[in-house]
Amino acid sequence: MIRIFFFAWLTAAQAGAPDAMQHLQAGLDARKQHQVDQEIAEFRKATELDPQMADAFVNLGAAYMEKQDYGAAIVPLKRAVELSPDLPVAHQLLGYALLSQGYAAESIPHLSKVGATEALGIAQIETGQLTEAVGNFTAALAQHPNDPDLLFYLGHSSGLLSKSAIDTLIASYPDSARAHQALAENYYALRQMPQAEKEYLEALRLRPDLPGIHLELGQVYANSAQWPKAEAEFSAEAKLQPGKAEAAYRLGAALLQQGKSREAFAELKRANELKPDMSETLYSLGKAASLVGENTIAEQSWLKVIELEKTTALAAQAHFGLAGLYRKQGKTEQAQNEMKEFQKLQSTIGPPRSE
Amino acid sequence: MVRPLTRRDFLNYAAMTAAAPIFEVKPLKGIDFLLQNSPTPRKFLIETMPGGIALLDYNNDGLLDIFMVNGGRITEGLHVPENFERNNSRYWNRLYRQNRDGSFTDVTEAAGLANAGNGNYGMGVAIGDYDNDGYPDIFVTSYGKNILYHNNGDGTFTDVTAKAGLAGGGWSVSAGFFDFDNDGKLDLFVTRYMEWDADHNKICGGEWHTYCPPNVFPATTCLLYRNRGDGTFEDVSERSGIATKKGRALGVAFADYDGDGFTDIFVSNDGMQQYLYHNSGNGTFTECALESGVALTIDGKGLSGMGTVFQDYDNDGRPDVFVTVLPRELYGVYHNDGGGAFTYQSLETGLGAITSGSSGWGVGLEDFDNDGWKDLFVAQSHVLDNVQQIDASLRYKELPLLAMNHNGHFDRAESGAPTPLAARGAAFGDINNDGRIDVVISTLGGPPVLLLNRCDSGNHWLSIGLRGTRSNRDGFGARVTVNGQTRFATSAGSYLCSSDKRLHFGLGSAQKVNVEILWPSGVKQLMTDVRPDQFLEVREPEHS
Repeated sequence: MIRIFFFAWLTAAQAGAPDAMQHLQAGLDARKQHQVDQEIAEFRKATELDPQMADAFVNLGAAYMEKQDYGAAIVPLKRAVELSPDLPVAHQLLGYALLSQGYAAESIPHLSKVGATEALGIAQIETGQLTEAVGNFTAALAQHPNDPDLLFYLGHSSGLLSKSAIDTLIASYPDSARAHQALAENYYALRQMPQAEKEYLEALRLRPDLPGIHLELGQVYANSAQWPKAEAEFSAEAKLQPGKAEAAYRLGAALLQQGKSREAFAELKRANELKPDMSETLYSLGKAASLVGENTIAEQSWLKVIELEKTTALAAQAHFGLAGLYRKQGKTEQAQNEMKEFQKLQSTIGPPRSE
Repeated sequence: MVRPLTRRDFLNYAAMTAAAPIFEVKPLKGIDFLLQNSPTPRKFLIETMPGGIALLDYNNDGLLDIFMVNGGRITEGLHVPENFERNNSRYWNRLYRQNRDGSFTDVTEAAGLANAGNGNYGMGVAIGDYDNDGYPDIFVTSYGKNILYHNNGDGTFTDVTAKAGLAGGGWSVSAGFFDFDNDGKLDLFVTRYMEWDADHNKICGGEWHTYCPPNVFPATTCLLYRNRGDGTFEDVSERSGIATKKGRALGVAFADYDGDGFTDIFVSNDGMQQYLYHNSGNGTFTECALESGVALTIDGKGLSGMGTVFQDYDNDGRPDVFVTVLPRELYGVYHNDGGGAFTYQSLETGLGAITSGSSGWGVGLEDFDNDGWKDLFVAQSHVLDNVQQIDASLRYKELPLLAMNHNGHFDRAESGAPTPLAARGAAFGDINNDGRIDVVISTLGGPPVLLLNRCDSGNHWLSIGLRGTRSNRDGFGARVTVNGQTRFATSAGSYLCSSDKRLHFGLGSAQKVNVEILWPSGVKQLMTDVRPDQFLEVREPEHS
C-alpha cells in the first residue's frame, strides 16, 4: 500500500486571473472544512478560468487524491508538472497517482525528482530494478528505523534480488558448483532433503574445496538424524574453515548426539573460543562438559547462558542442566533452587513438551 | 556398573558384528489373525494406537500361547455411542494355543473369549494370576470398557469384569498386574491416554490431514485397583494419590527402584513429562519424576513417551528406565544412580546415534545373545500413516531396532526383519523353549510377526519360573539376581503387551550359576551351583 503523506499545501503563490484566484481560494476554504466535492468543483473552475495556473491543477489533483480517485488525479497533476516542472509536490503527487494505477515505470522520474524513497523502491520492485529498490529501502529505513512496512519491502526486494541472481546463475552456468549449491539450498528450504543432498553432493564433486557446502550438507544430514554423515560433513567444513565457529559448533553438536562426549567437548570449547558468548554454543558446551565430568566448565557455561538469555527457553534449559549437575554433586539445596527457577520459567513459557 | 571390555567381550562383539542376524522371521503356523485398526479419512486417533499381544501359558503345558487384542470396525460415520462391531468374528480378540509341533490352534471361541463388546475398541493386555489359583488370567484394555477374563483352569475363561469392578472407562491403553502392598495378591494399574471420543475427534496437519498430537485433547488420570482377594478390586486411584496427576499415559512398567521393598510405577506419557510414582509402602504413591531426574530429557524437554521398560541394563543391580518416543527425540535412557536419582543417559549409551530418526512403541530389554548383557529391541513405525508426504526423511513403516548391549553401550545390529512394518506392540518370551528369547510384534492392519531367535553364540542361559507362596503366586515384584545380573519379575512393560513371565538370563560362558531371589514378602532365597541351560522352577520358601 502506498503511504500517502498528506500535506498542508501552500496557498496560492502565483498570480492568476482574479476570478480563477477566487475559486482557488474557495477551494482551499472547502478543504479546511473537509468538503472534498466542493474542493474539486472550485479547483476545476479555477483551472477552466486560468488554464496556466499550475497551483490550481496541483490542488485539483490533490483533491482527487484525497478522494482516493487516483486515476482522475493524474491528468491535472501532469498538467501541473508541464506548467511548473520544478514544483516538488506536483511530482510527488503525480508519482503516487501513477504508481497506484499501475504505471510504475512512469512514476519513477517523478518520485526520483523529490526523493520519495519508499514509493520509489516499490516502483523499482515493480519494474525489476531490484538493486536500486534495496538501496532505497535501506536509505528509507535509516530515516525510519524498524518501520514495519519498510522492513517488509526491504526483505521482499532483497529476496527477489537474491532469487534473480540465483536464476541468472542457474540459467547461465547450470553445471557450476554454485548452481548446484543454489539448487540445493532451494530444495533445503522446501524440505526436499533427498534432492538437496543430491545437489550438494554434485556441488562438492565439482568444487570439493568450496567453503560452506559441507556445512549445509551436514545440516541436511542432521535434520534427518543421519549423525555419522553429519559429523563427516561438519568435520570437513571445520578443516576447510578452521576459524569458523559455526562449523565447530555444529560438529560438536553432531558428536554430542552420538555420545562422543569428549570429542564434542573439545570441539564446542573451540567454537566458544572462536566466537564467545553464543548462547547455543555455551549451552551445548555445558552439556558436553557435564558428560565428561568437567563440572566447573559445565557450571560456568550454563551460568553464562542464564546471564545472556535470562528468561528464554534456553535459560530454562540451563537451569535444568544446573539442577542435574548440582544433584549429582550432592548440592541438594542448589539443585532444588535451580529446579525451582526452571519450573518458574516453565510456568511462563509453557510446560515442557516433546520436540 | 559398567565393567571394562574383556578380551572375550571383544571377541564376542567382533563375532556378533560379522554374524548372521539374530532373528529369523518365521510364519506363525495356524495363526490367521489380522489386527483390524480400520483406518479412515476421519483420522480417529484410536486407529493408529493398537494392538496388544500377550505371551502366556494359559493351560500350563509348558508352551507359550499367544493372545492378541483386536481393534474393531470404524467407519467414517462413527459417533457416540460408538459401535465397533466386535461381535463380528473379524474383530474378535484371539487366543492361540501352541501345539507340541510349534504350530498354533485358534481356541478363542472354545475358551469363551470371542466378542469383546461392541462398544469397546481393543488396545492392550495384561496377564497375571490375580486369584493365585495357578492359572494366568487375562485383562484386556480398550477405548470403552476393559474386561477381566478369569482363567477357569479347564481351557475356558469367564468374563468377571462386573464382579471384579474393573470396567474402568474412557481410553485405557497399557496395563499391568503388580502387588503394590505386598499382601500376596496382584493389584492392577491401567494407563489412560486422554479424554477423547468419536464426537470430539479432530483432524490436524492442515492439507495433509493427519492424526492430532496428544496436546490437542485433555489429559486424564490413570487407574489403580487394589485386589481385595475375594475376586473383587477396589478403585484406589484417588486414595493412593495416582489420580492426583493427569497425563497422557501410554506405557507402564514396574520395579522397586530405590530398594525399599515396595514396587514403584513408571508411566510413559505422550508429549509431556514422564511420571514416576514412588510407592510409600502405606498404600499411597508420590509422583517424583522431576526430582528423581526421570521426567524430562537432558534439555529439560518432555518426551513423546510411548513404550517403556524398567530393568537394569548395566548390571549394577538397579532398575533403569527406557522410554520409546517419536523421531527428532532420542529414546530415553535414565540410569538409576541409586539414592532415588536417575541420570539421562541416551547420549552416552549410544542411542542418540541410532534412535533419533525413528518412532518406537513396544520395547524390551532382553539378553538375546545370552552374553550376560540385556539388549534392546524396539518395534518401530511412525504414528502418522502419511508422514513421508510431510517429511521425506521419515517413514511410516520401519524396521525394528535391535541394539546389542556391549558393557552398557548399545550398537545397532541386524534384526533379521526383512521388510519395514507398521509395528506397535512387542512381547518377549522363549516361544520354542530353546533358551533364546523371541519376539512377537503386532502390526497395524497386518498379521503378527514372529522373530525367532537363531543366535548361535553358544552362550549358556537360565530361565527361572517363580512360584510365590507368601508372595503373589507369579512372584511379580521379586528381585532376581543371577551371576551379578538382576531382573525384576514382571510381565508388564513394553507397549500394550504382556511378556513371558519367566525370567531369562544369559550366562555367557559361565558353567555354574548362583541365584538370589528377594521375594516381595521379604524372603531372601539363595541357590548356588545351579546348572545352566535349564528352565528352573523356584518355589518361595513358606517359612523363613
